[in-house]
Amino acid sequence: MPLLRVDAVTAGYGDTEILRAVSIRVEADEVVAIIGPNGAGKSTLMKTIFGLLHPRQGAIAFDGHDITHQAPHRIVRLGMCYVPQVANVFTSLTVEENLEMGAFPMGKVDLSANKDRVYAMFPKLRQRRRQLAGKMSGGERQMVAMGSALMMNPRLLLLDEPTAALSPKLVEEIFERIARINDSGVGILMVEQNARQSLGMAHRGYVLANGENRHEGTGRDLLEDPNVGRLYLGG
Amino acid sequence: MIDAARPAADKGMPVDSPDAEAVDARDPGGARSSRFVAGVLLLVLAGMWVAGWLSGTSAEDMLSLTAWGVMLGGIIALGGIGLTLCYGVLKFPNFAHGEFLTLGAYVTYGMVLVLPQSDPIWRFSFGWELLAGLLVAAAVTAVVAIVIDRLLYRPLRRHQSPLVLLAMASLGMEFLLRGIVYLVWGSDFHFYYSGRSNPALYLPFGLRLQADQLFVFALALVLVALLYWMLTRTRIGKAMRATADNPDLAQVRGIDTEQVVAWTWTIGAGLAAVGGVMYGLASQMRPDMGFVLLLPLFAGVIMGGIGSAWGALVGSIIIGVAMQLTSAFLNPAYGPAVAFVLMVLVLLMRPQGLFAQR
Repeated sequence: MPLLRVDAVTAGYGDTEILRAVSIRVEADEVVAIIGPNGAGKSTLMKTIFGLLHPRQGAIAFDGHDITHQAPHRIVRLGMCYVPQVANVFTSLTVEENLEMGAFPMGKVDLSANKDRVYAMFPKLRQRRRQLAGKMSGGERQMVAMGSALMMNPRLLLLDEPTAALSPKLVEEIFERIARINDSGVGILMVEQNARQSLGMAHRGYVLANGENRHEGTGRDLLEDPNVGRLYLGG
Repeated sequence: MIDAARPAADKGMPVDSPDAEAVDARDPGGARSSRFVAGVLLLVLAGMWVAGWLSGTSAEDMLSLTAWGVMLGGIIALGGIGLTLCYGVLKFPNFAHGEFLTLGAYVTYGMVLVLPQSDPIWRFSFGWELLAGLLVAAAVTAVVAIVIDRLLYRPLRRHQSPLVLLAMASLGMEFLLRGIVYLVWGSDFHFYYSGRSNPALYLPFGLRLQADQLFVFALALVLVALLYWMLTRTRIGKAMRATADNPDLAQVRGIDTEQVVAWTWTIGAGLAAVGGVMYGLASQMRPDMGFVLLLPLFAGVIMGGIGSAWGALVGSIIIGVAMQLTSAFLNPAYGPAVAFVLMVLVLLMRPQGLFAQR
């Protein structure tokens, strides 16, 4: 049974239908990349999986639970966390407070072990833990956002364009961190603009276009598929 | 944004951080730094002092007026903090907030009538029954606020109603609550203890203050300090700041935002109730007291930078002092006008208010 199963989901805003019968799955410990042109519905898919948008048709199941109409704060408790593309840190809170808010559903418990684990993953954050997240650079914010999402010990992490608007060097670094997070036993579902790099590290990938499934395969297969390359990877 | 964390986050930093300067530099409107605005405000207050002195009020009396102003500021701040928290978390100006002060004052009054009366504590005019009544009133007011939220604001929130609709709904609630106070307690003025004397204490520098006034200000300070501790140190306090900062992300992080909303009402209405009792103690209870205080309340909050608990305290004290000082040479009925002139002055120099980050 896959960890996450999205079954023929149709969703959108108001009268606009953005996703049409999209199906994907993520196995435990897998890295899955979703690529596709702008407006393909990639971010909408992430929001729908996470319960921020309710599907009109279809079903979503996580770890054996039906989460089709579940609220985000319940989904978080089941072990799925989401890092939005923008505005993904609390700018007026310190780095440490951001991490604490990531573990809010755990209640009043000692979080030092969780913090240590995140700081081990992102050592830079430990030095800057008293700094306001709003005063950090784009790459550092992305680390705060990913660190906050990891505080709950999730089994699946949804990343919406984690490398958007970052310098090539930082893109490299973020992908390296994502690989390490995956090594620690966390499944990854990410939407990416840096299609080549993300497919290069993903176990499997999906190409989404016009709100529909277009291609599906292992990262390597998609990279080598001439149709995918010509249409979606810039030749 | 509730930026109470700022002084804690960068310990020892001046209120006007380098960041604020940087924002100013980028601001095309040329907003002044908070330090500059604070300087202008001090000059204005000094000018009021001189004007009062020239109009024949002695320096000792001006000093006493200043102290009363700080106390009035403490009362305004107790109301203003709830207003600013509510704006931060729920993103609408709650015009019914003044009625929480009225309600707190009158519920305490009812308790004082019912409870057995103890001797006055120390030099205060009140006994233990007032303090007990205060606790009951804070709890009752908080429950009323939560019920109003469930019945009125939450359905509007669910439908993602525009801000103006929520603001108007709260204005309607203001009139409704005031009507209820008139119905239950009548339109007469009330005192907690009519006829009981509350002589002024003679303090150094010719300062004359009633023990009650000292109590009012000390309690306001303690409550603001407690709130500050809560916002920066406790889990629910941090969640309130997080929700005010970015409600969507708060939801994504698994924060139950409805629970945060309930806490916001509890704290905001509870503090307002205490503020109302303090006002009743310092002057008298009138059914329109909350409505009269609403304008200075908004002035203090907006001047301090809406959404900032710290700003609400400082803005309220400035407003309170200015209202008292000008009463030396102006009819006190102009108090709210003075408050608004000061607020407009601050906004012209620094549209985001004294303490807001943006």
